[in-house]
Amino acid sequence: MERATTSASSEGEFRFKVVLLGEGAVGKSSLMLRYVEDKFSPRHVSTIQASFLSKRLDLGDNHVDLDIWDTAGQEKYHALGPIYYRGSHGALLIYDITDKRSFEKVKIWVRELQRALGETAVLIVVGNKLDLESERTVDRTEAIQYAKSVNAEYVETSAKENLGLADLFEKISSLMIDKWEKTREISGRTSQNSSSSNGSRRGIQLVDEQNDAAQRTGKCCK
Amino acid sequence: MSTSESDLLEEDRKLRVQINEKDLLCINGCGFYGTPQWGNRCSKCWRAHQIAEKRNIDYARNRTLLAFDRFEEKRKLSSDSRSLTLRNIIKKSPSMFTSSESTSELRASPNGTPSRHGRALSPDSSSARVAFTDWLVGNVPTPVVQEVTKMTKFAEHKIHEFDIAADDMSELVQNFYQHLNDRLNHNKFFQNQESVEVQSVMEEVERYLSVVTYNRLFCPTADEEVGDLSLQERIRSLNWVTAGFLETKLDFKRAAVRDSLDEALTECLSINSPRKIDEKLGCIVRCCHRIFDALRNSAAPTSADEFLPVLIYILLKGNPPLLMSNVKYISRYALPHRIMSGESGYFFTNLSCALQFVQDMNHDSLKMAQTEFEAYTSGQIQPPPSAANCGCNQAIASMEQSLSHLEKLELEQKKLADEMEALGKTVAKMEEEIESSYGFLDDYPTKELQDLLEKVDEEEKKTFQVCNLTAQFQKKKNEAPSQVPNNDAVESQGPKEQ
Repeated sequence: MERATTSASSEGEFRFKVVLLGEGAVGKSSLMLRYVEDKFSPRHVSTIQASFLSKRLDLGDNHVDLDIWDTAGQEKYHALGPIYYRGSHGALLIYDITDKRSFEKVKIWVRELQRALGETAVLIVVGNKLDLESERTVDRTEAIQYAKSVNAEYVETSAKENLGLADLFEKISSLMIDKWEKTREISGRTSQNSSSSNGSRRGIQLVDEQNDAAQRTGKCCK
Repeated sequence: MSTSESDLLEEDRKLRVQINEKDLLCINGCGFYGTPQWGNRCSKCWRAHQIAEKRNIDYARNRTLLAFDRFEEKRKLSSDSRSLTLRNIIKKSPSMFTSSESTSELRASPNGTPSRHGRALSPDSSSARVAFTDWLVGNVPTPVVQEVTKMTKFAEHKIHEFDIAADDMSELVQNFYQHLNDRLNHNKFFQNQESVEVQSVMEEVERYLSVVTYNRLFCPTADEEVGDLSLQERIRSLNWVTAGFLETKLDFKRAAVRDSLDEALTECLSINSPRKIDEKLGCIVRCCHRIFDALRNSAAPTSADEFLPVLIYILLKGNPPLLMSNVKYISRYALPHRIMSGESGYFFTNLSCALQFVQDMNHDSLKMAQTEFEAYTSGQIQPPPSAANCGCNQAIASMEQSLSHLEKLELEQKKLADEMEALGKTVAKMEEEIESSYGFLDDYPTKELQDLLEKVDEEEKKTFQVCNLTAQFQKKKNEAPSQVPNNDAVESQGPKEQ
């Protein structure tokens, strides 16, 4: 808990939640499976559930535990998005470079995410299926420009050929660390870098201190 | 009755009390006597009156629950009460006893028993207390044990005392976790060693609290119970939504898939048995693992795209009681890391998603016309049987399985019959052959042979006769010498010539 939300004792230890968002069939799960494959022998791949994955990364002095959450991408589950990405530190917005529509869907997700999480989460737009370069319909420069315009990074990958995956996850991890450090500098004290509903919490935090004082006196009385 | 009535009348007269018989009778005029405690009603009328009254109360309560405006109002009210309660905490907490007295006066739990119960512990609670203390003593030094126990006990006490809305209670409990966590993090013991993490202490605290305050925190108001019931009602009305509608890739023809789904259902339903939050989450995690087994056995990809529909299917199929309350209980009082990260967090989030989807499910989410959806939901029309929907009906699946078994059996029987026929034929053939060979034996010995045999017989007979004759002759000859000894030479020549 403290690793996820506060700066306390464990310096250099992070735990981040990353959600994979994107339309169905853009390769969210194969991307994840490929990433898992680095860890396990290929024979076991079929026994791995490809919807939740925890991976530990070492980035210099920092150790990052990544929780990677796959989400259901079908249109009918779109409304459930907020439940999925609540409290996440980063999001990979995945589209299929051969499918213009999936790219448009990414834009919708970005708008939603920025509304819900504000600037607290790192966004990376991911163009997947780089192996199908010849069938590309989404222009790379267009995608890069779009990513820039929404203050997100842009990466291209191929789950099939295992291109750019390790880099992708390393990149998002270091970006999340940066963001986290920045928010800590700004707030200048223990603050939660993730979620939005902090105002009331702080108010009650004080009460909790009072409560604690009460505890001690209560104990004395006893 | 009539005799007792007359007895009473007589007694009345004797006592000369000036009470009319009418005053003693039930006010409903049913002819029986009433008592003041029952509002001058007889026992029967009193019971009827009570039932009617309860119905009115329930009706009123339901109406307030259903009316959105009122709901908003209530929310406002509860948020108002929050500040009030907090002030209470600040003001009155220095003296624990006065505060507890003042806050707990009028609270009553849904079933009508006063909340200010004695501190007698249930077996569950007392065993949890023992386990908690044992764990602390075994893992952390005494000062920490004392601090943690003290704070936890205080929190437990307060949870039982405060009468505040569940969301506010949740915030208090979460703050307690946060606070205790911070304090432990600053504790020298945890800073200097690696063997015991603060997190495990927090988990023990959560485990303990979730057991001993279960009655207070789980499904705390009648409203939530109503919410559970209405969810169940909704799921029941959606019973026609089958795996086919949800576009799952489950292969119901495989027994392994059906078995995994059954296990998932069982795990999903067992969420009500444990009190501890981590065990409840364990049920969810196991349920989800079984779902992945089912997907794997169906040779479907194990991605979230496939997983969520199956989870929804399991919810619709199992219709677990008190699911809402369980989800709320977990999300309110679990340690944040449990439901925000890790596998349990992921699956819990998925469960919340599935629940949300079931609640919001409409014609759009199933890609059908609104009228159609409503007709199915109200039960006016049965959805047409399609292959995909039938595929997930277990009864039909097992019937199909039996049918295929029967077909197989029939084939085998046919084969058996054929074989039997063939065997019959060979037997007949063999019989014929045997008969024919028996016929040959009957003919044996042949006529020639018989004739020959007869001839041989005859010859033998003749020879025998001849031999006999010779013997007789010789006998006679032997007897003769005594009579005619001179004839010896003639007699001996005789047979030779013959």
